[in-house]
Amino acid sequence: MTERVAVTGAGVVTPIGCGYEAYRDGLRAGQSGCGPITRFDCAGLDTRIAAEVCEADAALEAWVEPRKAVKTMSRAALFAVAAAAMARRHAGLERGGADPARVAVVMGAGGMGPTDLDLLATQVQAAIDAARDGGTGAWDIPTFARLFAGRTNPLATLRGLPNLAAAHVAIQHDARGPNATITTACCAGTQAIGEGLRLIQRGDADVVLAGGTDAAVNPVAVLGFSLLGTLSRRNDEPARASRPFDRGRDGFVVGEGAGVVVLEREAFARARGARVLAELAGYGLTCDAYRITDERPDADGAARAISACLADAGLAPREVEYVNAHGTGTRMNDVTETRALVRSLGPCAGVIPVSSTKSMIGHLLAAAGAVELVAAIVALREGFVPPTINLEAPDMECDLDYVPNVARPATPASALSTSFGFGGQNACLAIRRW
Amino acid sequence: MSGDTTLVNGRALDALVREIVAEVLVVPAEAVVPGVALMRDLGAESIDFMDLVFRLEEALELEIPYARWQRFLEAHLPGGQLAARITPAVVEAFAAAELARP
Repeated sequence: MTERVAVTGAGVVTPIGCGYEAYRDGLRAGQSGCGPITRFDCAGLDTRIAAEVCEADAALEAWVEPRKAVKTMSRAALFAVAAAAMARRHAGLERGGADPARVAVVMGAGGMGPTDLDLLATQVQAAIDAARDGGTGAWDIPTFARLFAGRTNPLATLRGLPNLAAAHVAIQHDARGPNATITTACCAGTQAIGEGLRLIQRGDADVVLAGGTDAAVNPVAVLGFSLLGTLSRRNDEPARASRPFDRGRDGFVVGEGAGVVVLEREAFARARGARVLAELAGYGLTCDAYRITDERPDADGAARAISACLADAGLAPREVEYVNAHGTGTRMNDVTETRALVRSLGPCAGVIPVSSTKSMIGHLLAAAGAVELVAAIVALREGFVPPTINLEAPDMECDLDYVPNVARPATPASALSTSFGFGGQNACLAIRRW
Repeated sequence: MSGDTTLVNGRALDALVREIVAEVLVVPAEAVVPGVALMRDLGAESIDFMDLVFRLEEALELEIPYARWQRFLEAHLPGGQLAARITPAVVEAFAAAELARP
């Protein structure tokens, strides 16, 4: 198909702001959304910091229609629904403005562990009580089952389904077209938007609500990532803990939130006089097929995803004017990603501004790629490229222009956003001025 | 509304049922008037009735298998067309029946 695909709206729920404008302002100010964990008692954990969403639940629930739907929403699903509603409003696309069968939803979701703390607490308490009642001190499943069933609202169990975020978005927007949930963890948000691009290019949809959501600031996920040695332990200085590309980096900061963009087929967008934010120009997707957590040292998979994206977009490396990096701040990723950028962009890599907004908002896991694409859209439209904050002394092996510490005035005409997940799953998106 | 005033922990059953219905359907208490149809007028769907039975269990301190609600409907509202016929009075009658069980 030769028609272009437009991004016409963006909605975000993030630790530095909810909604496009607040997020943009936070990025420009180099604001950190990292702080002590408040969502649960984390005393004694090696990592006691996270990037929590700054908006109260009630404010997010105000975006849900009908309000009753909140009952079967996990925290991640609530984020997704709020972000989708914000995106739709941002796009100015009225309900009924499209044939429902041609409106699709693709959502990245399903990060590590349950996002519903109430359900988790009920399960754990039932197990504890069952062990005590049984007298063995071990998990007595029949007793657990009786206690759990007696204490659990059936609706609560629905909140554990990762595909419900996309389902709730579809219900609220009468989106009766294709509906997909992408679970490639750190890569999911980017991949979901890329798959949304393909749906329109294949002629299967005119409008796609695409993005990602995650709410991993919960004991299971924080402990899980902590045990794997991936999280920063800079508990005494949370705002300085997420430091991608910096010599003193010690891991990522878990974040939560959601990002959704509205994608539209060009002719459809023109016919309704849509305001276009950017062209979604290209998408690359690869897998390292190497190891579960280690990336290929030669960055082959990541580099190929970037190259494939450039080819798909018809962009030469020298035409790339900003890269929103995956930039988690782990010892390994930042070096590997630097190599991937050098391999795919060649000599231009040294002069293209590359920044990691995870330095500010933490790692939003399945939502990361989505909110980071929105950061790239901000760069195209708002006259600045967001900084990599906390960059005091770059790692010797990280020698690109990472836009240290302060947002820089710039007017990039095109940008890339990269995401690389555990399991070696790599994705890259390209956007271009319309 | 029922003729007699059944009390649960000192609260009138009809008021308790109205409050629970309002919580389940996330509507203002004032919207739960006699004769309002939970499905047709207040947007109740199947999972909301599971929610309702669970909250009745908690409020009445009883165990109420969901199947008993389904059998109650079959017995008291035969012939289907439930969307217009399940009202707060129906829920109250079910709750009273459960309370009366030995």
